[in-house]
Amino acid sequence: MLATDFSILSLLLWLPVAGALVCLVTGSRAPSVPRWIALVTAVLVLVGALLLMLVHDRSGGWMLLEDRTWIEAFGIRYTLGLDGISLLLIVLTAFMQVMAVLVSWRQDKAPQVFFALLLVLETAVIGVLLALDLILFYLFWELMLIPMFFLIGIWGYERRFYAAVKFFLFTLVGSLCLLLAVIGLYLLHGAQTGVYTFALEALKQTELSAGQELLFFLCFMAAFAVKVPLFPFHSWLPDAHAEGPPAGSVDLAGLLLKTGVYGMIRFAFPLFPAAAQKFLPVLAVLALVGLFYAAWVAFSQLDIKRIVAYSSISHLGFVILGLAAWNQIAVEGSLLLMVNHAITTGGMFAAIAMIQLRTGTRDLNQLGGLWKSQPNLAAFFLLFSMASLGLPGLANFAGEILILIGVFSVKPLWALFAVGGILMSAVYTLRMVQGTLWGASCEPFDRRDLDAREWGILIPLALLVVLLGCYPQPLLDVLREPVSALLLTGGQP
Amino acid sequence: MTLAALQSLLPQILLALGSTAILLGGAWVRNRQLWLVVGAVIALLAAMTAAFVEPSQTDILGLYGATAYARFCTVFWSLTVAATLVMSSRYVELYRFGGGEYASLMLFAAAGMSLLSAATSFVGLFLGLEVLTLALYVLIAFRYADNRGAEAGMKYLIFGAVATAFLAFGIGLIYTATGTFDLQAAAAGLQLDSGIRPLGLAGWALLLVAVGFKISLVPFHLWTPDVYQGAPAPVGGLLATAAKGSVLAAFLPLVLMTGGNGEIVRILWFLAVITMLLGSLAALPQTNIKRMLAYSSVVHMGYLLIALITGSDAGSQALLFYLVIYCFATFGAFGIVTTLATTTNEIQDYDELRGLGALYPRRCALLAVFLLSLAGIPPLAGFFAKFGLFQAAFRAGYAELAVIGVVASILSVYYYLRPLIVLFTPEERVLPREAAGYPELTLLFFAAVVLILFGLYPAPLLSLVSVVLPVL
Repeated sequence: MLATDFSILSLLLWLPVAGALVCLVTGSRAPSVPRWIALVTAVLVLVGALLLMLVHDRSGGWMLLEDRTWIEAFGIRYTLGLDGISLLLIVLTAFMQVMAVLVSWRQDKAPQVFFALLLVLETAVIGVLLALDLILFYLFWELMLIPMFFLIGIWGYERRFYAAVKFFLFTLVGSLCLLLAVIGLYLLHGAQTGVYTFALEALKQTELSAGQELLFFLCFMAAFAVKVPLFPFHSWLPDAHAEGPPAGSVDLAGLLLKTGVYGMIRFAFPLFPAAAQKFLPVLAVLALVGLFYAAWVAFSQLDIKRIVAYSSISHLGFVILGLAAWNQIAVEGSLLLMVNHAITTGGMFAAIAMIQLRTGTRDLNQLGGLWKSQPNLAAFFLLFSMASLGLPGLANFAGEILILIGVFSVKPLWALFAVGGILMSAVYTLRMVQGTLWGASCEPFDRRDLDAREWGILIPLALLVVLLGCYPQPLLDVLREPVSALLLTGGQP
Repeated sequence: MTLAALQSLLPQILLALGSTAILLGGAWVRNRQLWLVVGAVIALLAAMTAAFVEPSQTDILGLYGATAYARFCTVFWSLTVAATLVMSSRYVELYRFGGGEYASLMLFAAAGMSLLSAATSFVGLFLGLEVLTLALYVLIAFRYADNRGAEAGMKYLIFGAVATAFLAFGIGLIYTATGTFDLQAAAAGLQLDSGIRPLGLAGWALLLVAVGFKISLVPFHLWTPDVYQGAPAPVGGLLATAAKGSVLAAFLPLVLMTGGNGEIVRILWFLAVITMLLGSLAALPQTNIKRMLAYSSVVHMGYLLIALITGSDAGSQALLFYLVIYCFATFGAFGIVTTLATTTNEIQDYDELRGLGALYPRRCALLAVFLLSLAGIPPLAGFFAKFGLFQAAFRAGYAELAVIGVVASILSVYYYLRPLIVLFTPEERVLPREAAGYPELTLLFFAAVVLILFGLYPAPLLSLVSVVLPVL
């Protein structure tokens, strides 16, 4: 552990906000400047995160910790901590953010505000991944809402107001449950020890009756389950995806959904281990139902963005199933699948944005024959689709197989159902690919294939899909220590 | 009245004399801007006097106090009035508001508000409230030629007169029961168990009705949306912030003095619950930003009642913190409506707001800050305000009120977001650009910065309000 007053974490955290301010200041005069500032900022954050990845030690515990007084009247501190899990997700966040900026390069409607919001969103997500004080965490958790709300609500498609408000209300209801539980926990802890604090480590020591613990756990899970989104709290996601701008979808799938799972493993499970253990089977059942239900619904969608949105719900069901198995292999697999899913889904949304740009539609009935008119774009789309349905050698497969192995060792029946889920994902994905790339040729009004920027977006994503599919070991190495520490504190089932 | 008492009352005297001076001067020099500036300067002077001149005695004739709490209130209301005057500089030209009358009445209102929050006896309280209300009667009806303006003026006049009658009668009954006008003694008299106690309780009930009218608690809120809609936007801002705040600030020590009297707390509990819930439900379908803000102010008063009910120091601290933050945000929201006004009418309906975000990006972004702070979304100051409030409620054992407050906050997000989405809906509109003056924009920008800064680091304001808590 490095010195506690080392503020490299704060630097990483607030860099995007600084970039956002520069965007706002410069953007009103020169509309092409903000995107460059956003790109430079996002790349800087990515480089910083990658450097941390290189120098980090794998001995477990906090690699970096920063702790300052903030609001003493309420016992709120500014505590940031970095371990393997948060580091991996921060690298992912930074990478997806670069992609999101590139995807929205041609944004010409109020670009300075658009890119500023994207950058604020990045700070919020990194803050969520770093915060170790529950109020600080909650602040960042809520801060994620505002930029996303405006990104969907202003730059989205026809029904954007409906989608934005639905997104906002769903997640807000969840997070206010979280806030109530946090305050309740804080007061209980204060009454027991006389020390009123929101520090995660201190609150873990709070003595709770079984009933209280379950209540608090459910409140925490309400916030996280909505964000994941776990069945039956998922209905905001397809609308948010379908009506949101491409960058919004990339960020939503790549970053926001991950914070829900992260919240579970960082806060909900360690704070309330006994309740969590009791709740795992319920979680597994919800995950399995979601896995099938979302796949089923995806099959009957016509909007390809909605199909990918439902496939997200289905995949996140898989991730939650891995958590519910609660052993080393399955949890590592869950985290790996989360990263892989971000990359494949990000790739799909980017490709869909490019398709929509050329054809003006996302409707399966109108699309078709893109393999002939845009072979390169079609190839990338096919690659991401194959990764999404879990083709061995491509990204998602590695995570899924780990989850299946882990789950099988605990509850073989769950694993059996889950395999069925993979089958379903093949069905809807193939239907989508078939309807988009082959069949009756639609008439794209723009017949050009990929340009340099689009190559620049799709190649890194495609490379990662292949690399992580063939050799996920480096990621697993980063995860090993934190996951085993997590399993220890959470208790074995 | 001794010299020492006069000196302790200096800020209020400054406000009242300044107001009279402007009224007289305005008859000779018909210059709107001049009197606005003079008025703002006088209000600033009064605020500085209250803040920095140590009063020689804290008790003034048994009517008013010059405690830290009273001085804090005087400073804050005077500054609000000064800011409202600056805010009105374009507005008064647009609608050709007389000469000095507008500024003069604003200062009268400030004097009334500061007397009201400083009152230590029912007589002082009544006087302060009447000074404030009389000034407001005229200010609200300033656009009397406009149908809505006339309606607003008439409604406020009638409801206000009825409320005054209730208040006077209530004070009379309390006096009959306890034989004193002194707030502390009257509140203590409530605890006595004598045959005449029912009379006193009836007096308190009437008092609560009057307060309910003034700060528009459900079910006494019906005048609020119409009056806010018809009143000139800057006056509406003053009504929603300082006018309500001062009544609440006068009411806070009174409730604390009763020491958590069961009967009163039960009534307040009931009022808080229906105010939060019905206010929120009524705000949801609004399609006019001023009516929405009116219902929003109703709901916020419901939140503040929670703090009043807790009767603890933490509650009072949360109340003052909340009140300050709420005033900044609401003042800002009304300020934006003020700057958007055109020569023909104020832009209020959401249909008219459509697409203005592209036309006035800065002002609309500021409005977003104000409304999101009112909704309590972090990292804006409204979040810590609500946090302190609900935490105090939990600690005092009113968890159910905190939960209802959270539910109301969830509902509130919908009605705060609606105008924002409408504003930023891209739409081709050809509208004459209405430039806003730099003083107004600077002021609004300042309010937004305050909301962001206190949202990130609320400690200074928290420690300030904990110093000025009312001492019993």
